[in-house]
Amino acid sequence: MGLRRLLTAAAAALVLAASGSCTEAVGRPASITDAERLRIGVKTDQPGLALRADDGTFAGFDVDVAHYIADELGVERAEVDFTGVSPQEREQVLVRGEVDLVLATYSITPLRKTVVAFGGPYYVAHQDILLRAGDTSVAGPADLEGKVLCQGADSDSADRIIGERGIAAESVERPTYGDCIDLLAAGEVDAVSTDDLVLAGYLDTAPSSFNLVNAAFTNEKYGVGIARQDVAGCEAVNRAITRMYQDGTAAWLLRKWFGDSGLDINTSVPQFEGCV
Amino acid sequence: MKGSTEAPEIADRLATRAADRARPRTRLPAWVGRPGTRGWVWLLSVLCLGLTGVLFAVTGSAIAQTRDGLDVIGRDEGPKVVATADLYFALSDMDAQMANVLLMGSDHSLGDGRDAALVRYEQRRSDATDALLHAAQLAEGDATDEENVRAVIEDMSRYENLVAQARLLSDEAGLPAGSQPEEVVRLYRRAGELMRRDLLPKAYNLTLDSGATVRSTYQENSSAASVRMALVAGAATALLAALLALQYFLRTRFRRRYNIPLAAATAGVLVLGLGAIGMLEQQAVLLRTAKADGLDSVLALSRARAISTGMNADQSRWLMDPGRADIYEQNFLEDAQMVLFLVPDDDGVPGDLEEYTAEVAEAVPDHTAYPGRLLGLLGQEIHAGGVEGREQAQRRALRDYSAYLHADQRMRGRAEEEGAGAAIDARMAGEESVADHFDRYERSLVQLTALHTNTFETAVADARAGLRGWDAILPGACLGFAALVVLGVRPRLAEYR
Repeated sequence: MGLRRLLTAAAAALVLAASGSCTEAVGRPASITDAERLRIGVKTDQPGLALRADDGTFAGFDVDVAHYIADELGVERAEVDFTGVSPQEREQVLVRGEVDLVLATYSITPLRKTVVAFGGPYYVAHQDILLRAGDTSVAGPADLEGKVLCQGADSDSADRIIGERGIAAESVERPTYGDCIDLLAAGEVDAVSTDDLVLAGYLDTAPSSFNLVNAAFTNEKYGVGIARQDVAGCEAVNRAITRMYQDGTAAWLLRKWFGDSGLDINTSVPQFEGCV
Repeated sequence: MKGSTEAPEIADRLATRAADRARPRTRLPAWVGRPGTRGWVWLLSVLCLGLTGVLFAVTGSAIAQTRDGLDVIGRDEGPKVVATADLYFALSDMDAQMANVLLMGSDHSLGDGRDAALVRYEQRRSDATDALLHAAQLAEGDATDEENVRAVIEDMSRYENLVAQARLLSDEAGLPAGSQPEEVVRLYRRAGELMRRDLLPKAYNLTLDSGATVRSTYQENSSAASVRMALVAGAATALLAALLALQYFLRTRFRRRYNIPLAAATAGVLVLGLGAIGMLEQQAVLLRTAKADGLDSVLALSRARAISTGMNADQSRWLMDPGRADIYEQNFLEDAQMVLFLVPDDDGVPGDLEEYTAEVAEAVPDHTAYPGRLLGLLGQEIHAGGVEGREQAQRRALRDYSAYLHADQRMRGRAEEEGAGAAIDARMAGEESVADHFDRYERSLVQLTALHTNTFETAVADARAGLRGWDAILPGACLGFAALVVLGVRPRLAEYR
């Protein structure tokens, strides 16, 4: 009977209307707050921050911070996968969704913020200067006049001293900062200038060979890179970092990895960047 | 008597069947089992009345939930979040005023004078306390946030302790502007570092966190809003279908062309349903305006103002503590880039203060002609649209910011050429001083913020006005529909008596 069909149709329309609004794309959760596994991009060759061992495991400050954040997000340690990311591919891997988070000495800049979002910073590093042990001729960037500096490829640390500050130093470029440290040890360059945590990490590999100046002259906000649309995830990362500083884990981790370097460590929570 | 052995079983079976048939008959009206015409009329009428009840309940709860969401953002959380945003500014300005007081030393009449700076310091301290109270209320129940508020209170008293000592020593020394004793500089350096490294970041994170609270409330509310709209649409559609079915049935069975009361009810439901959905849609739009164009902008601009105040303090520190001038200049530049970050079209982002100042001048007076992008807290607030006068206010804010940066360059230039005394003069005294330009810039920021505050308040008031009346309309209309249904079917049912 037509009437019954009419009623059935009306009921079907109601059900459709109700279910249509609830349907979501199937696949990975829209926010890392719902994730059960996390894929985190870190560096592979930075002693003290993230170094890949021969067995494929990662160790360093960035790795420990990543574990803490994952734990706060309710992801078990065994469910965290680390992937090595190079500085050039940090944005792409987030945009393409190949990793969920990036903790890889990833400085927050307004330009990068147009592509990805940043939780944190979890630490504000400063550009600093590393010398050979026994060299006391440099107390700040101004004293680098006439010296030979080494900078890694894709870095502008020496250019910032020479170009922006107008200090007449000479600059040598090598593929990585590890190579620069070798040159410094061999006496072929006078100083290496980059983020203090990076320098402290190298210093720790050969404490008697080098000397950290402690002349913080820029602020490098190390952020937790995250997909731009995952605002809730970014806010959850900020809460995790807040707790990491409140419960003393941050201070402990900073001392664990950089405590012997003589670096002036700030154990107070950094000013966050904001998620939107 | 052959079949007599089976007889009791047959009798039993017949009895059971009879009982089965009899049972429903005693409980429900006859038409339920196999409805006849009268049964169908009853069934459809009851369905219409039931669905009217459903429409009433669904729409009523949608209105109640919409009002709750509006209250949270418009009355409870929203204004409190704005109040916590003032915390960062109040702390930052406390520090800026104290830097001025110490910079002036015994030259009490420089600029607005030392007493004015002290009055403003006290004012900001009480503002900070008020803001902390709001922050504490927002943080209630969240252990992490509560701990954060507690840490800010503790750091604040440590800061006050340090500056009190510095002031005492400065008063005792009685030296003129720019020549503070080593100990005063050392104490203030510690206070300033505490402010910058501990206090301000925590205060800033608190305002970010309360912003996050509003965002998640809004998010929940807006996804619930689409579900609510779908439910109202579903309930109205179902009722319409039932009414049309009843109308159709009466027409075919009773050979009447129209049932006027039912037609009226159908039209009424259509109007009410469309009206309710339109109203809910309008509420969602107004709430989005209140949040995105109001609250978000107010928060961003409050942060811009707070960070600008920190820049102002860094200028005083730069003059007072030449030993660390490099760091203070770097901090000034970094804060400036948080307020307004320029991406020139050739991607050569300015690297030092002088280049930055020149680049900002490019975006003035007409930012639309600037061949690059404007980012940062203020930069992202510079866009077309919005209420009348907003674009003008944006232009003015940019122009005054650029003028402030130029005054800053003049001050730094004079420090280099004529020494600290002349620079302090350029900082504090006269119409073209840094202090004067900063005041103007701050006023334009406050004006621009006020326009967004106004957008927020107007949208909330409009939303509230849009909900008004529905409390009376909805029950009245639903009762009317029920009455019309009864009126429409009663004469037909009477034909069967």
